[in-house]
Amino acid sequence: MPADLAELEGMIEAALPGAEVEVIDETGTGDHLRATVSAPQFDGLSRIDQHRLVKAAVKERFDDGTIHALSVKTSLPG
Amino acid sequence: MADPELKSKVEELIQANPVLLFMKGTPDMPRCGFSMRVVQVLDQVDVDYGAIDVLPALQPLREVTAEISDWQTFPQLYVNGELLGGCDLVEEMFESGELAQALGVEQPESAQAPQAQQSAPQQSPPLQIE
Repeated sequence: MPADLAELEGMIEAALPGAEVEVIDETGTGDHLRATVSAPQFDGLSRIDQHRLVKAAVKERFDDGTIHALSVKTSLPG
Repeated sequence: MADPELKSKVEELIQANPVLLFMKGTPDMPRCGFSMRVVQVLDQVDVDYGAIDVLPALQPLREVTAEISDWQTFPQLYVNGELLGGCDLVEEMFESGELAQALGVEQPESAQAPQAQQSAPQQSPPLQIE
């Protein structure tokens, strides 16, 4: 089943309230995705911890095999 | 839950190798585009590193790294015992100079991640072999 980009955006927004999230399909195959996330919760975190938050939000879709690769780009709002 | 024996083996390896890459395939023959990109970055910074092919034990190693580093996807680059990141973070930190700093080496003059060089349309997408 192809990934539902809007669902993934919703999962990340739910985990990081106030975040600006965009998820795009890089290859057109639905399983290699890129998430661009700007969230106030990233303040004070290392990059790897910022990525951990994003990956944790969509973990369920990794675990069920819907997505295999998610590139993540994080930033602080502002 | 991860296999305790494998987990302690992995922890030993991470401690024993200042720069350690868990990847799909080998540096000479990467079996995944993301792993290949990290190898290309490490080649550019010209640092000695250990490499472990995760493919023969992919699922057990996922379980181990999930417990050790809260990270389940490969590649994973460890520097001085800490997970630095996967392909995105390694490339981002390479371009910003943070990687060279973490490795204690000079930033190469033309630090450009492989991804940014892949502008040619005939380039095939990264292979993802599970």
